[in-house]
Amino acid sequence: MRVDRLALDKVARDFTDGRQVRRVLFPTELELAAGQLTILAGPSGSGKTTLLSIMGLVLRPTEGRLFLGDVELTRLSDAAAAAVRLGNYGFVFQQPMLVEGLPVIENVLLAAGVQGGRPPRALRQRATELLAALGLSGTERMQPRLLSGGMKQRASIARALLKNPTVLLCDEPTSSLDAESGQAVMAILKRTALEDHRIVVVVSHDARVFPYADRLVKLENGRIVSDTRERYVDLGSSAV
Amino acid sequence: MRSRVAFRMVLHDRASTAGSLLGVVAIVFLVGQQLSVFFGLLNYMSVLVDHSAADVWITSAELRNADATNFISGRYVDRVLGFPEIAWAEPVLFANGLFRTPTGSFESVRLVGCRRPRLIAGPWEFVKGEPAALLDLESITIDSLDVVKLGQPELSSVTEIGGRRVRVAGITKGARGFQGTLVFAAIDKVREIAATPPGRYSAVLVGLKPGADRDAVLARLRSALPQCSVFSKGELSRLTRLYYITNTGIGGSFGFSTAIAVLIGVVIISLTMYASVLGRYKDFAVLRALGGRRRDIVIVVLSQALMIAGAGVFFGLVLLAVLLDATRGSEVPSYMPAMVPPTLALAAVVVSILGSMVALVQALKAEPASVFH
Repeated sequence: MRVDRLALDKVARDFTDGRQVRRVLFPTELELAAGQLTILAGPSGSGKTTLLSIMGLVLRPTEGRLFLGDVELTRLSDAAAAAVRLGNYGFVFQQPMLVEGLPVIENVLLAAGVQGGRPPRALRQRATELLAALGLSGTERMQPRLLSGGMKQRASIARALLKNPTVLLCDEPTSSLDAESGQAVMAILKRTALEDHRIVVVVSHDARVFPYADRLVKLENGRIVSDTRERYVDLGSSAV
Repeated sequence: MRSRVAFRMVLHDRASTAGSLLGVVAIVFLVGQQLSVFFGLLNYMSVLVDHSAADVWITSAELRNADATNFISGRYVDRVLGFPEIAWAEPVLFANGLFRTPTGSFESVRLVGCRRPRLIAGPWEFVKGEPAALLDLESITIDSLDVVKLGQPELSSVTEIGGRRVRVAGITKGARGFQGTLVFAAIDKVREIAATPPGRYSAVLVGLKPGADRDAVLARLRSALPQCSVFSKGELSRLTRLYYITNTGIGGSFGFSTAIAVLIGVVIISLTMYASVLGRYKDFAVLRALGGRRRDIVIVVLSQALMIAGAGVFFGLVLLAVLLDATRGSEVPSYMPAMVPPTLALAAVVVSILGSMVALVQALKAEPASVFH
């Protein structure tokens, strides 16, 4: 399924804190296009991670609807949501979250084999190529603990890109990295949005990464307070 | 890929894997050792019955175990020989006596008297000597397991049982009863030692002709000998074992210790696998976020449990084999029927899976949303 929009229709989310119901995301309308890198920004508690989790089908909205292309994803069963995640989504987390004990190449292949089955040779080849493109040649058999923070995060990007996902969701991908590694990761994400025509969403409160955004959506107290569409950086081409 | 992930986790998490492995090995080894002793004692309980060449045992009425026979008349020997299906009938006489050791001390022994020349119910395996030795009226055999206890009497040495002269003519192997030392002798010698009235015996052992219908013969014998109990060899063996298991507390004791061993193993497996899953909580959440279903998490955790169980069963059985080999022929009763190791292995796998349930529940709690801070 290759689609070019991810849309939220009046999506809201409540959390229950004891007997008290707390709304952390007020009804939100947002449509994200392929070929763009969208940054969700805002202070802690603004609702950006909740919004990202709903987009990623790992958290159900209390109300509203979510569409990928024209397909509504809101009422999918757990297993169906898992299948959509597996087939259409890539995730880059704040921490790389590589599984210790699995060599780097198997961590990358996890994105294809998490529901069982041996990943086909073509995917193994793609995993190797992705690692090479991300500057990780020679690390395939290494354990994650032997990699630097930046290398781990790049390996996690390789994992996210393995199955050529329609949607790439990134949660503070640069927060645990030094400035140089952070810039490199953002450049990779930017390229993958533009050149592979993906929907790329990055949650960040680090203003240094904003220049990479095609669209900057700011949230405060569970509401979108600004939505700026402007291409800040032209990074040239280097296919991933 | 899921089982590969499980395998990598098992290899990587050495401490918890070692702990779980220890639990499985403990179950297999401890339970196996308990069972080997239990089955060894079971063999002791019915050793005379199991090793007799008889198809049918005729004893006093209302018999509860093979070691508690009252006297029956020797006339039954002639009566049963009148049945066309019966090939032979031989009396046997049990008695207790005091064996005089070379140092002059005494040890109680269980005497088994068998009639010459057939010597049915006589010794079945010798370390020294041969069955024909018992054809001599004075001859007795002692078992290799009891040689030290009886003061290491030399072969052909003369001593006394119950004040009567006997000569050690053979040393048997594996002839130990649940009630202690078994000494085989000619039936007339046993009668002399125990001062048993003439014409009285402990049991009559019967051999059937080839092709005889055993159940039909048993029915006819029971009908013809209402003053006696008539058992097939298997029936008397089971009756005797059941008697000792239920009346000596041995069954409860072994059952309790086996249950404790299993419980300890389950607790060790549960705790270590639970700790492992706690340490891997984020990994399971990542698996879910990447598209893993609940069933995929179940497969990963159960694969880990099965891998650990497989390795634990292997090491446990190897240790058990070493122990059994070391205790073979010693005074420690041990016997491992062929069906026990596979049953034990299966039970250990089931217990390992049960032990992994707590860890599995925890792993299934890993929410994919938790990967986002």
